[in-house]
Amino acid sequence: MRTVGVVVILAVAIALSISMLIARDAVTNKINTVRASTGNTITVSPKGFFGFSGGGTPLKESAVTGLLSIPNVTAVQESLSEELTSAKTSLKSPTPAGSLGGQFGFGSSGASGFGGSSSSTTFSIPVRVIGTNSPGNAVVGGANGGGTEKLTSGAAYSPTSTADVAIVGSSLASTNKLKVGSTFTAWSTKITVVGIFNAGSTFTNASVLMPLSTVQKLASASGDITSATVTVNSLNNVASADKAVAKELGTAADVTSTQATTEASLSPLNSVKTISTYTLVGSVIGAAIILLLSMLMIVRERRREVGVLKALGAPNRSIISQFIAESVTFTILGAAVGFVVGILISSPITSALVSASGGSSSTSGFVRRAGGPGFGAGGSGFTPPTGGFANRGAGSFRFGGFSNTITQIHTSAGWSTLGFALIAAIVIAALGSAVAAATIIRIRPAEVLRSE
Amino acid sequence: MLKVENLDKTFHTGAGDVHAVQNVSFEAKDGELVAILGASGSGKSTLLSLLGLLDSPDRGSIDIDGTQLANLDSAGRTRYRSSQVGFVFQQFNLIPNLNARENVKLALEFAHWPKADRDNRANELLGIVGLDESKAERRPAKLSGGEQQRVAIARAFAAQPQLILADEPTGSLDKATGQKIVELLREVATTQKATVLVVTHDEKIAKKADRRFEIEDGVLKEIH
Repeated sequence: MRTVGVVVILAVAIALSISMLIARDAVTNKINTVRASTGNTITVSPKGFFGFSGGGTPLKESAVTGLLSIPNVTAVQESLSEELTSAKTSLKSPTPAGSLGGQFGFGSSGASGFGGSSSSTTFSIPVRVIGTNSPGNAVVGGANGGGTEKLTSGAAYSPTSTADVAIVGSSLASTNKLKVGSTFTAWSTKITVVGIFNAGSTFTNASVLMPLSTVQKLASASGDITSATVTVNSLNNVASADKAVAKELGTAADVTSTQATTEASLSPLNSVKTISTYTLVGSVIGAAIILLLSMLMIVRERRREVGVLKALGAPNRSIISQFIAESVTFTILGAAVGFVVGILISSPITSALVSASGGSSSTSGFVRRAGGPGFGAGGSGFTPPTGGFANRGAGSFRFGGFSNTITQIHTSAGWSTLGFALIAAIVIAALGSAVAAATIIRIRPAEVLRSE
Repeated sequence: MLKVENLDKTFHTGAGDVHAVQNVSFEAKDGELVAILGASGSGKSTLLSLLGLLDSPDRGSIDIDGTQLANLDSAGRTRYRSSQVGFVFQQFNLIPNLNARENVKLALEFAHWPKADRDNRANELLGIVGLDESKAERRPAKLSGGEQQRVAIARAFAAQPQLILADEPTGSLDKATGQKIVELLREVATTQKATVLVVTHDEKIAKKADRRFEIEDGVLKEIH
């Protein structure tokens, strides 16, 4: 009965340590995956630039171009974000106003920005235009507000193009029956469609990409940019480059690295990692102490037997080996049961830890990035048809998949887990055996037998 | 032949020094049964511990067939105990999770008897002490007190030691069984040519011995 009790207690401790190890590994993998997926970019936007709502004073291209001289900076992508109301373009947004017109009080067609009459029913969402010098670049989230564009037809314009050309999103093209070679009007200028892209998102697919110089010229914003994405050569250098960029631009810009925002998002997971590490160590130590005390108790109870064996001429190693065999048996049984139970409970425990750490609430939805396109003047709280991001301050948003899957943590036990269980069992058994051995060596048969 | 000379053992306690064994000297021949009488605390168990090399004397020598034992190191003592000393205790002290035969074989294992011979030797000894095959298969809990002591005697004699030390071997047995056990000890001592020292406080048991000693306050005197 006592043997069963010791094995059960050991199994519980080992199960806890196994589940903590699995939770820790799963969370670490998730953290690494998210970090790897966020890239090595820094976003620059004008100070006070309020996401889609605009605001602040645009940055100057000349200031941003100088960022290339910062060590480890490999590229700077610039963009100017504008919105085209129906008065400025022939394009119609594919995004229906729905109740937004009433909810946010957009003005009637032609009115600029939020804040119009809430009773208006003729509101149409402006078309977003991004002037960018990096068309077709796979990472243009900073320039156009998120998403990864894939050209479905046509070709990208040259990064240095000054032509009146555009690449339009697929839903915008569909709504306006545009194809490569079609034209539309913007700022009273005829723009030729040279390509159509699909970003996999209705919101992004409702936008237009144009050469930066063209947008600056047509929008009378010569030399202005509303966002820049600085690429750093290594994830390890993002933090230092981030500081250097902020120092270079001074108070004129908000500088935010993806790393910083990612780290903020990953904070709950880091907490889980810390908790699971401490619990893992604690449970292994706990298991060792349990076995240690159990063996101590067993040896003390069998003190007379040890004394008799010694009197009969049994060498210490022979007696110790018997107790080590017991200790190892306890540990193997406990480890076997604990391993299976640990694997079974690892997933719910991981979920519980992530939930308890606030991971689910703080990591759902989208990660907001500083900078990016403005969208009208004033107001806040835009919810796109695709849903899922929240506006909580200055900056724009990035469509991204990583943050809303932060809580989707997959637990699995591999050879490393089995190896850990084995090593932990050996350590625990060794500790338990060491105590038994030390106690056995100290037992003097004359004293034990004299007490008869 | 056991030869003990000037054996001293003092325990240093908080209440002062206790001279458990004082200047003890005596000799005993092979096959001889020697009884040591003494009350509780007289030093008889300490003397047995010294002779069984479970404890070290402060002074004096223990010699068996010319081998000086008092100065052996720990490993040497263990080796000596396993092959040359057999113990019989008042409480039998059999290993509870081993059956009678396995308990006897344990002594043979420690004495490094050839594995192939251990079963035969254990069965032979169990037969000598009057335990049949069915009893040999039983664990101590399934044997009577007398039977357990027989197993203990078989274990003590198994490795053919030169010295058997029996500490109150009849203390936990009724009188009739006690008498039988002493007779058994005497008989096996003769057949196995071992010196048997029996510590007891029972005069009737002591009278069955070849020689009798009395120990009081650690001082040993022969009773003629």
